[in-house]
Amino acid sequence: MTLYHFGNCVALVYVPYYLAYKQSGLSEYGAFWKCVQAGMIYMFTQLIKMLVLATFFPDNVGEGTGSLIAEFFKDTVDLADLVGLYFVLNGIPGKGHSKVLTAGIGWATAELILSRALLLWIGARGAEFDWIYIQKCLESNVLLVQHIATATLIWLWSRHNLNKNLKTIITLLLILTCYKPLLFDSLTHILQLGVWLGLVIKAAFALVYGLFTLTIYASVADIIGIY
Amino acid sequence: MLSEVDELFKTYIPYYILVFLPIFIIVSPTNPVSASYEFPAYRMQHYDLHGVPYGSRVAAINLEARSLSTWSSSRHCIVTRLADLTYETFSNVKNKVGALVLALPENLTNFTAEKQQHLILENKIVFDQETQIPVYFVKPTKEFNGIITELASNIDTNDKKKSATEALFGSVAANGYQIVISASTPSVQTNNKIATIHGYLQGSRSDGKVPTIVIVAYYDSFGIAPDLSYGVDSNGSGLIVLLELVRIFSTLYSHPSTRGKYNIVFVLTGGGKFNYQGSKKWLDDQLDAAESSLIQDAAIVMCLDTLATSDTMFMHVSKPPKEGSAASIFFKHLKATSEKFPGKTVEGVHKKINLAEDILAWEHERYSIRRLPAFTLSAIKHPKDPWRFTVHDNRDNLKTERLIQNAQIVVETVGKFVFNLSEGDSFNGNLDVSKANVENWLKSISNQPRSAQLLTNKDNGFVSSLQHYLNKYLQEVKVTYAVADKRDPDYQFYGSTQATMNIYRVKPAVFDLILTLAITTYLGAVYFAISYIPSLYSICSNLVKNKKDQ
Repeated sequence: MTLYHFGNCVALVYVPYYLAYKQSGLSEYGAFWKCVQAGMIYMFTQLIKMLVLATFFPDNVGEGTGSLIAEFFKDTVDLADLVGLYFVLNGIPGKGHSKVLTAGIGWATAELILSRALLLWIGARGAEFDWIYIQKCLESNVLLVQHIATATLIWLWSRHNLNKNLKTIITLLLILTCYKPLLFDSLTHILQLGVWLGLVIKAAFALVYGLFTLTIYASVADIIGIY
Repeated sequence: MLSEVDELFKTYIPYYILVFLPIFIIVSPTNPVSASYEFPAYRMQHYDLHGVPYGSRVAAINLEARSLSTWSSSRHCIVTRLADLTYETFSNVKNKVGALVLALPENLTNFTAEKQQHLILENKIVFDQETQIPVYFVKPTKEFNGIITELASNIDTNDKKKSATEALFGSVAANGYQIVISASTPSVQTNNKIATIHGYLQGSRSDGKVPTIVIVAYYDSFGIAPDLSYGVDSNGSGLIVLLELVRIFSTLYSHPSTRGKYNIVFVLTGGGKFNYQGSKKWLDDQLDAAESSLIQDAAIVMCLDTLATSDTMFMHVSKPPKEGSAASIFFKHLKATSEKFPGKTVEGVHKKINLAEDILAWEHERYSIRRLPAFTLSAIKHPKDPWRFTVHDNRDNLKTERLIQNAQIVVETVGKFVFNLSEGDSFNGNLDVSKANVENWLKSISNQPRSAQLLTNKDNGFVSSLQHYLNKYLQEVKVTYAVADKRDPDYQFYGSTQATMNIYRVKPAVFDLILTLAITTYLGAVYFAISYIPSLYSICSNLVKNKKDQ
């Protein structure tokens, strides 16, 4: 029965990724290896991040008990994610939307495999039942939306024909995403939110963020005449 | 620039990944949460005595937890409080259910009538016939009590009183618990040595013929689970009184002027709760030895057993002592001494040895059978008093003051006896029991369980500490070991006395099916959402266009 539960969790976490890959038409472009490449850059980025964290914050890596300022600096390291995504986007030839989607899906899938697969394999297969696995799976789905949106924003940011105001807004948004975990953690801590409510807020944020990105993308795409 | 990056990916990075990916996975910070509970669990007694098997014979559990009212088959493990159990339900349940996990009551200092009932129940369970199911005891903790309460409140699906929807909801969403104790089948302990320590003090008389008195106490304890039996009163109190006697009389005997008129042999026997195996072996050795032993012409043999329970001291004999014999003189001294202490009384109890029964009632019967003038001093009247076999016999339930007073009575009586004093004399404080010493020993014995099966290993720390103490004060301290016969053992102990109990929260199978249904619905929604994105995109671009047009 517990293997069945594991199956449930895997279906919940991986099927949306598969659907996104299929429905976006990436499979027709033969973008699979590009996605894998994006995943590899993800791993490389994480490695560098970990090296930096281990060098500068050796005491409280992975504990989450550090002070607010320490957490802030740790999240600053997440800026490396943006740089990594930038490299991914540079490495992928192609037109706007396929490029952005490949980068976003590849990146998110790599994260999914590295951070969730083991957790589910060990945790959800055990005799113990815990809602946390279902929650983690749903959170991964939210992260997919967010990573695609972030990839889009980076792509937009790297474009030259973007007006100044929009560029400032995008920069601010990108920096905001880096500190998002910190913001959410302190929010749930202060408001004493349950895990489910926290998840709903994250999903709502990702949705708004995604819609906003889509709007900007639409305007830019209109100007340069793709899609 | 781009081609360089590309180059990098083609040459180095695959190797990096080959090395770092495993490391990555290992150090991945998202550790799986371990929400399961872990409790130390203490297995019920498991031993054979004179070929009769006692206790629970099995150790491993992997079953679903249920309460007393909701269990239905041998695939369930009943988890409940020992206080909620009666002997009738226990004997009803013990051959039908898969396993039993019982929470011990908090502590028993406060209530009396219930306490007595509880102790009797515990005794009935432990001296009952063997059971083929694993029985474990758990100390009462908040978490464990929470689990018990939750199990008891779980809705019984067969209960007709609840509405159908309630029952349905209960069967889907209820938290179930899986109890897992992984242990192998308990095996007979190969090392069944029971240590007995003895030493003596040399008395003196002008005619050179010095009679001997023997003072005996067993040092082991007994309770429903070996690892919970501290036995501070039974027989920690007897042990402490004996150790005080050793200390006080060795000081007196060290001066020729205050040397007593008797040799005193002190014996600390093991296996007292297992039909006095230590005494049996020691006595056989002493009486059957080729050279003459001190105890062959013992004037009295005094056994000490459970001395802090009440203010009445009972002198148990198998045969009423004749007027003028050493035992009757001792009794008179005892009576006279106790009268000096307010509230203390002495009573003689005569009980014939029941030769039809395998188990002897008191330790002195071992000596009486061999025709030695023996008696037992105890603060308990009945040998089968449940207080002698309980895990609640711990430090909290022992009154130190009472123990010290009773010890003082014993010490003074022995003093009067060995110095042949008349009943009215006193020792002017020369024979005072040391409170510090008593408390030290109380601390030491309440730190570790002293069940016989836990003390059988060679060079056991507790046994050697006793030996060390006796060595300090007595002459010719020796340790002898009783070993059970290989072919037809008198007693056999079994291992795995304690284990770690894991409790996992589990959901019923129906829950997973319903979860699958929910996930499928969700995935369908995601599918439609994704296929809706192109139209969302056109809405967005129209919006932007309209703005521009304006």
